[in-house]
Amino acid sequence: MRIQALTSHLIDQIAAGEVIERPASVIKELVENSIDAGANEIHIDIEQGGKALIRVRDNGIGIAKEELKLALTRHATSKISSMQDLEQVVSLGFRGEALPSIASISKFSLSSKEQEQEYAWKITAQGEGREEIVPDSLTEGTLIEVRDLFFNIPARKKFLKTDRTETTYLDKILRRLALSRFDISFYISHNQKNSHRWLASNNIDNDAIRLRQIMGESFFDAALAFENSSEYISLSGWLAMPSFSRSQTDMQYLFVNGRPIKDRLLAHAARQAYQDVLYHGRFPAYIIYLTIDPLLIDVNAHPTKQEIRFQESRSIHDFVYRTIKQALAEVGPQELVNQNSNNNSTPAEYYKLINKKGDSVSNTAFLQKALLPLQTRESESDNHALYSSLYESFPDHSDRAEVHDHQAIIPPLGFALAQLHGIYILAENENGLIIVDMHAAHERINYEKLKQAVEEDGIPVQDLLVPEKISVSQQEADAVEFNQEVFAHIGLSIDRIGPESIIVRKVPALFKHVKLVVLIKDLLAEIINQGESRFLEQTANEILSTMACHMSVRANRQLTIEEMNALLRNMEITERSGQCNHGRPTWRQFTIDDLDRLFMRGR
Amino acid sequence: MKLTTLRETLLNPLTMVIGVVERRQTLPILANILIQADGKKLTVTATDLEVELKASIDMVVDEPGEVTLPARKLVDICRTLPAEAQLTLKINGEKALLTSGRSRFTLSTLPVKDFPVVDKFKSPTELNLKQSDLKQLIDSTQFAMAQQDVRYYLNGLMLEIQDKQLVSVATDGHRLSYCHLDTTIASDSVQQIIIPRKGVQELSKLLSTDDEMVNVKIGSNHIAIISPALSFISKLIDGKFPDYDRVLPKKTEIKLLANKDTLSAALTRTSILSNEKYRGIRFSLSTNKLSIQAHNPEKEEAEEEIEIQYTGDDIEIGFNVNYLLEALAAIEDENVQISMVDSSSSCLLQQPKNGNCKYVIMPMRL
Repeated sequence: MRIQALTSHLIDQIAAGEVIERPASVIKELVENSIDAGANEIHIDIEQGGKALIRVRDNGIGIAKEELKLALTRHATSKISSMQDLEQVVSLGFRGEALPSIASISKFSLSSKEQEQEYAWKITAQGEGREEIVPDSLTEGTLIEVRDLFFNIPARKKFLKTDRTETTYLDKILRRLALSRFDISFYISHNQKNSHRWLASNNIDNDAIRLRQIMGESFFDAALAFENSSEYISLSGWLAMPSFSRSQTDMQYLFVNGRPIKDRLLAHAARQAYQDVLYHGRFPAYIIYLTIDPLLIDVNAHPTKQEIRFQESRSIHDFVYRTIKQALAEVGPQELVNQNSNNNSTPAEYYKLINKKGDSVSNTAFLQKALLPLQTRESESDNHALYSSLYESFPDHSDRAEVHDHQAIIPPLGFALAQLHGIYILAENENGLIIVDMHAAHERINYEKLKQAVEEDGIPVQDLLVPEKISVSQQEADAVEFNQEVFAHIGLSIDRIGPESIIVRKVPALFKHVKLVVLIKDLLAEIINQGESRFLEQTANEILSTMACHMSVRANRQLTIEEMNALLRNMEITERSGQCNHGRPTWRQFTIDDLDRLFMRGR
Repeated sequence: MKLTTLRETLLNPLTMVIGVVERRQTLPILANILIQADGKKLTVTATDLEVELKASIDMVVDEPGEVTLPARKLVDICRTLPAEAQLTLKINGEKALLTSGRSRFTLSTLPVKDFPVVDKFKSPTELNLKQSDLKQLIDSTQFAMAQQDVRYYLNGLMLEIQDKQLVSVATDGHRLSYCHLDTTIASDSVQQIIIPRKGVQELSKLLSTDDEMVNVKIGSNHIAIISPALSFISKLIDGKFPDYDRVLPKKTEIKLLANKDTLSAALTRTSILSNEKYRGIRFSLSTNKLSIQAHNPEKEEAEEEIEIQYTGDDIEIGFNVNYLLEALAAIEDENVQISMVDSSSSCLLQQPKNGNCKYVIMPMRL
């Protein structure tokens, strides 16, 4: 066969192969277009898992009559016009591929009304053919109908799964999209039945409602809002408490500048941050929004734009890791107990509580101010300003002060009542009964103490009298050569002595009994794959964790009430005290309501 | 086979060899000991495939023969029989019958041919040494051996036969102990062997401090140490031991002299408040004064000051206190000389004069 140019229709179909894999991909492209068009209401109708019909209607800016034909032409887009635009692209799409691709493999129709136009215009396409533009009756925005997807590509059609499975895919992508923009309402109907109605939200109360609708009750109950920002990057979202973990990674949502993505770097950072508190083999659940200068990322890495490249990947990894770790560390019994007691309260109240974290700085500032001697506080107008600014940042301040006062009387974990079988401590607090696994709790307290001591002390380094030679691959040896600083920072001194051999001269003194070869190889593997490694920190933590275990009270040790109370108070001030070193919970609350239910009281 | 004897006569050789029999094993025969009686002599052999111990006593038996019996059970029975009890051991088919007074024990046996014994050495190097000398060589170095290190050749004690000299060296990669012994044995080449850790420990227990001579045979894979009552055979570790000579510091500028017991006692006290995991302590040297400091995660601190002979600059250096204490314990003199190049290179401990032993310790950066 001779070389010949492919027909434009065939090119579209080939492009569709990359971008459009299944009905869910169509939804993703169409909804993203609607979002880019500035819509704040999107109606989605699906029939038979999207195989028979996908209809997306928005109230966006619409497309002018003259541009309708162009819209179905490959590499035509309104989103960018120059390389410069591409570098700082903020719209979700920019490749100009979606519409022609979809149009080439389905029975397609597009109606749109630009605001200035008197009425809407409609263009239809069926595979190769384009039909004339005719007037239509749409009142605003754009409506796209995709029927019989893959009708002209039987090979693709064969690979579609059952309606039910395709619906699951659709559902997943819709949830992801809905999480990406809380300011857009989504109305979704399936087989002519309304299945979801996610209303736009512009305040935190509605955010909470929407989060609960999309992610489910149990995630919502375990969710912890967090926020952190630096000069050029900001991070926010919700983290599920470690006690709410998943057996797979299905509840991990990452958004970069509003774009839903799958990214190994960020997922890795999050996993690492959870590492110390999550039970072995479980996966965390989270929703993370990363906002960053578009110049620092490259979204043009993949046709479906699910992948992304970061310029400063190492520092971004670090920032995400630290933020999440910190947010998780700060969860003390106070927050959890309060959250428990607010289970049945309104989302607004709940939200105030989880939002408290962000205010911690101003909170202490307020306290410090309040503790000053009276005369310095008096009659200073700027003080007044300070106070009012504080009220701004948390309008419910008076409520919280009450909570504080109240806490002074009954601590969050309450007072010990008794010990059960030498294993559990029973305590009574404001809400009911608290059961504490005494060994697990003590273990975490000791572990955190040891970690803190190591942090403050620095890493003592043992020089090796007989340096250890290790044979490695060339790539690993390169990694050694180029990461000298990283190693020095963690107390290792490794030199390359040949193309495929390295020599270890100094190791952290803590690692006396660790098998160096294994450790170094794992470390290098991670440095090569992730660009950096917390492997050593993890290994050190494992050693500390074993030490902590030996230092802690064992089962069957009889404790007096005073000892138990001391343990409870210690838990309240220890970071991550909700989980033991292995990620198991250390305590549980049984509220009076729970107990009443158990005994069918008041039914 | 049949023999009648006093409990003590049989118990003696048994207790000598029982140490090598592991408590748990996958190969059943290793739980047994081999008893051989040839009419004039009774020999008891135990092995763990790495170390083989053989003890023999003169004894006239009623019927010569050989058998393997469960080692620990046999020892426990003999041990718990009353003192001076007369006992009879008789082999009956696949069972062994042990009787003493009104006690009767029937023990199972395993075939003698299954019992693994080390073959005769081919053209071994032979030397004769005083037991006490060999014991000293081992005891003053063995504590520095590595334990389950991936560098398998460190999990043992290196013996080196030089011309008119015998050297023992052990190291775990962090510190090293070295000891040499003058001998009359002429040798035109240098031979190095590594005895595995367990063999070294067992041997140290068996050797006594008297001047009785032992015969040392070194084959290609084994070493044998033979005295009239006992023969010890150990496999050797096949590997290249690190070049210890390069590790011994040569030009040491900084030298201090301290009373060994004073230093040792001060270190022991200070170590109570050192980090229990890596046991770090800090030396601060100034003219004729050594101050030792330690602190732990609970922020408790210990500080000791002792008088020493030292005239150099002030210097600070950190160590794992266990390494220092173990080296000090092995030094026999009243005083110890500590010398080093600077605070980041290895440090040498030895007797001030005429010492045969040297101990090298790497510092720790605290």
